[in-house]
Amino acid sequence: MTMCKTIQPRLTAYLDGELADEHGSVVRGHLRECAACRQVARDEAALRDGLRVLPPVDPPATLWAGVQAQLAAAEVADARKPRWRRAVARWASWMHWARWAPVPAMPQLAAGALVAAAAVGMLTWRAHRADGLPNRSDERPPSMAATQVPPPGQHQGLSSPPGPTGHAGPAAPADRDVTADLLAEPARTTASYEQVIEELMTLAASARDGWTDEQKTAFDAKVAALRGGITRAAPGRPQQRAERALIRALQGAIVRDDLVLASGGVR
Amino acid sequence: MEMLYHQYKRRVFGMAHRIVGTSDAEEVAQEVFVRVFRGLATFRGDSALSTWIYRLTVNAALSYLARRSRRHEVGDDGLTDLPAPPATERDSALASRIEAALAQLPAGYRAILVLHDVEGLSHEECAAILECRIGTCKSQLHKARARMRELLGPDIAARVGNTD
Repeated sequence: MTMCKTIQPRLTAYLDGELADEHGSVVRGHLRECAACRQVARDEAALRDGLRVLPPVDPPATLWAGVQAQLAAAEVADARKPRWRRAVARWASWMHWARWAPVPAMPQLAAGALVAAAAVGMLTWRAHRADGLPNRSDERPPSMAATQVPPPGQHQGLSSPPGPTGHAGPAAPADRDVTADLLAEPARTTASYEQVIEELMTLAASARDGWTDEQKTAFDAKVAALRGGITRAAPGRPQQRAERALIRALQGAIVRDDLVLASGGVR
Repeated sequence: MEMLYHQYKRRVFGMAHRIVGTSDAEEVAQEVFVRVFRGLATFRGDSALSTWIYRLTVNAALSYLARRSRRHEVGDDGLTDLPAPPATERDSALASRIEAALAQLPAGYRAILVLHDVEGLSHEECAAILECRIGTCKSQLHKARARMRELLGPDIAARVGNTD
């Protein structure tokens, strides 16, 4: 019974093929002997398989029309906003870029101010602490010295700033050598950008059916030029800047015309 | 833009449908697509496009449930009003029974089950979408499946003809 309590929490990982050989062998050995756990494993496997083959759900035909109507309404509302509110909204959306927080502009402003204050405080604290620590500038590039890196396996939000409740605060152990993590970061970012470029190129390839020959030629020339820029750029941040330029160009090509049509000519 | 919609409409609507229920899925899916189209120009590419869209969908669905729960002050997450499939269908098709059990789970469990088991995403992708650790993701999946087994009753395998 004690063994069952140890094994059952591992069954999910075992059934999904995520246990290493040795651990998998222990679970398999127990399942051979224990009918109750074998039954649990069978049920869980049947459930997992059942979930995997659930039929896709088709959206109603009215969904696309609803999306277009909401887009048009949102753009009309944008156009009616005073300029200062549009500026505040842009700034607030930048602060909350990867988050979905449907809160009004003023609380966003307050939250942004708090985050900014916390960031300044943290940088000040780190600079103060660095004064009291041995100089490690020979171990990592100076530009990376202030970068916050989560420990392996710890996930951080895409662009969530290091706020007062963030994971990667100044509580990180001072003696942990994060050089390897820091050095691997540019490669991870570049790989992510490359994946996005590939996805956007696929979308652009489908969208180009509706373009004129001139638009196609201009698009191809621009993409070729930007790709050339990526190839020529030095690895690291220069290359990432060039990749972001291509991403922006692709987004512009895909989004611009469709949004004008979708909004009924409002914009 | 319409092509992007067609590429993701089933995934977005399917997730919304399974997290918030049939009656409100369209509203949530609309919010997601508006968010996607208005945010695409500022999407910085720090994650895959699909990960970003899944994250918007999960966040939209969970926010919607929270708002609905506050509005109606219903217990749990407000899915108690979901219509159960007809009894004959429930008894005859495992899919219907699974969908019905799924609707009774807490929203967080539904999200991880749909992402990992229905959509087939890896733990790494689920963790990126749910903005949690991979370990948390795995333990949530284990608990969610255990709760599903309880809801579906014993001997699921035998009833679907799976003998091993």
